Amino acid sequence: MEKSKNSGRAGYYLYILPGMLGFALIVLIPLIANFVISFTAWKGIGTPRYIGFQNYERLLVDAAFWGSIQHTLLFIISMTIVPIILGLVLAAVLFDYISAQFGETLSSFFRAGFYLPQILPLTAAGVLWGWILNPIGIVNAVLKAIGLDFMAQNWLGDASYALWAVSAVIVWIQVGYCLVVFMSGLARVDPSLYEAAELDNASWFGRFRYITIPMLMPEIFVVALTTLIAALKVFAPIYVLTSGGPDNATTVPSYLSYYHFFTTNRVGYAAAIATLQTAVTIMLGIFFLRMQSKQTEGGR
Amino acid sequence: MNVFSKLAVTAGMSLLLAAGVAQAQSKTFNVWWFELPDTSQAKAWTKALEELKAKHPDVTINFEQKTFDQLQKAGSLILNSDQAPDLLEYNKGNATAGLVASQGLLTPLDDQFKSRGWDKILNETNSQLSKYDASGIYGSGPIIGIPVHAEFVSVFYNIDMFQANGVRVPTTLDEFEAALDTFKQKGITPLAYGTVDSNAQHLLYTLALTQADDTWVKNYQGLKEPLDTKPFLFAAQKIVDWVGKGYISKDSTGLKGTGGADNLFSSGKSPMFVSGTWNNGNFASSIKNFKWSQFVFPTPKYSTASTGNLFMVPKGAKNKDLAYEFIDLILSKENQNLQANLGGVAIAADPASVTDEVGKRNVEIFNEISGKGGLGFYPDWPVPGYYELLIQATTGLVNGSTTPEQFADRLKTAYDDAQAAQ
Repeated sequence: MEKSKNSGRAGYYLYILPGMLGFALIVLIPLIANFVISFTAWKGIGTPRYIGFQNYERLLVDAAFWGSIQHTLLFIISMTIVPIILGLVLAAVLFDYISAQFGETLSSFFRAGFYLPQILPLTAAGVLWGWILNPIGIVNAVLKAIGLDFMAQNWLGDASYALWAVSAVIVWIQVGYCLVVFMSGLARVDPSLYEAAELDNASWFGRFRYITIPMLMPEIFVVALTTLIAALKVFAPIYVLTSGGPDNATTVPSYLSYYHFFTTNRVGYAAAIATLQTAVTIMLGIFFLRMQSKQTEGGR
Repeated sequence: MNVFSKLAVTAGMSLLLAAGVAQAQSKTFNVWWFELPDTSQAKAWTKALEELKAKHPDVTINFEQKTFDQLQKAGSLILNSDQAPDLLEYNKGNATAGLVASQGLLTPLDDQFKSRGWDKILNETNSQLSKYDASGIYGSGPIIGIPVHAEFVSVFYNIDMFQANGVRVPTTLDEFEAALDTFKQKGITPLAYGTVDSNAQHLLYTLALTQADDTWVKNYQGLKEPLDTKPFLFAAQKIVDWVGKGYISKDSTGLKGTGGADNLFSSGKSPMFVSGTWNNGNFASSIKNFKWSQFVFPTPKYSTASTGNLFMVPKGAKNKDLAYEFIDLILSKENQNLQANLGGVAIAADPASVTDEVGKRNVEIFNEISGKGGLGFYPDWPVPGYYELLIQATTGLVNGSTTPEQFADRLKTAYDDAQAAQ
């Protein structure tokens, strides 16, 4: 009996094998290679030279790196916090107001509209935003045409606006993802809860605060985790919109790593940045998963 | 036939087949370049490929269009693999050509340079960037690449606006600033400028070259000594001054040179644009409402200018003779004149045989700069990663987040790092 149970298990391992192989090839081996390279001086070709912790020592005093960490914190706000809040409110409005008052069709129309940026190729969207926001672009042309000249700014070129302009574009991209997950979560909530609350004269905000948010907690955690990881490794919007500029005002760690890998040919240093970034992401990921399992346990 | 002899015959046949395939493969000439199809270079080179095909009807020509970025980012990895072509265009300079040359990934061309007479076509100034030493620094060592065109930064100017405002082509920096001021007084932002791409450093380095002598340029480009920042400090201060006086718009930090500032010039909003010859095609076809021309920015000797990208033969190339023959073709007088007649800056064209106005003017200007040994090259060459650093730091100067002193410090830190690491 015992033996047959074991051999049955062995059969299952065979099914995991392709996944494990893929994981090893595209995640594990490069991860280890990256870690090893981070202790070398290497130009990308030729033989790497072992230099101990020098790359990490340099990293600790690199102003560009610390600046990029600060920008990441801001991108956590624009990629995770703001889209979750906006997504929750919009989902609730679409679900129990627009849908109830104006019908399912209009609600679906808005949902699709908000989700659109998610299916647009990021590079194409980024190039378009670049045109829209440049000093002789559409935003400024419109502002000037309606007499609001003083509001026309050098959105992506002025260090005091660039980070906010990029953040706004990122919110535009992210909000649809949160919205769609939250709306599908709301479909699972028992309608009788809302009906009972309405009978008790609960306001819209009261229902939002005491029913929608608590019932959506599992979705909020999933969305928070995935968007947080996305914020920690954000690259494409920065690459397309500002290339880290103006004057490094929007640089993030992944862009800095890319910069050193491909342009300064300091591959070891780039690997050190990537290693540190990976470590932070994994730690935050574990923290969130713990929080989430605590939450679900508490829910039981 | 018994089993063994059958086997032997089969084995022999497959060997022959394999050899046949190998033979057929070696008859494919693989060539890459990244100049866009509508440029004068690409058109002239395509013509040369047709001639090569006509001479060797048995050879399959396999041309692949690459992008500058593709080769800039992955070129060294490709050259280090068995996927390298027989001949390719590659960016000149220490950080690119120098890096792959120092790793021994290229075929030395010294013998061909003499035996095929390329040394008669390219003078000493024009072949400086063909040689790289063991640490990848240009100027000495084996010849590993051949330039067939050239490029330079000059001042594009709007003749109509100059005449309407009584401005003459300046011949000194003071006159240049006086011209800027005249336009500013009339409410015109005189310089079209965009700091989001290389345009940032072209103006900056051109200004630095007003303060540079032979030693400075040689040391700077050759990573010979720690950086002497004086010329850069001067240039940075000028840019800050010009922004303050309104000669340069603060909006420059949100604009690229290509696809931004160039439009300000070609639409007649700004009368001057300090940029490279790669704008010629665009301006020749898009400017219809005014007359325009170019002048060399007034400097004592050096201009932001260089010979063009290099044609290189990778170490593992299978058809080196075809590669050499193709270089013969694109260096020929006919092909050079064709390139110039298409509006390009051919490196060895005969101005007298060029009828195209833009091509003729550009060949003449390049010959003038090269003739006095005034190729100052580009500011981003000595240090890998300097291209981005210069963009960021120059942007900082224009939007006020970086002072000229901080600018010079940032340049010096990265430069001295690279210089010490040699």
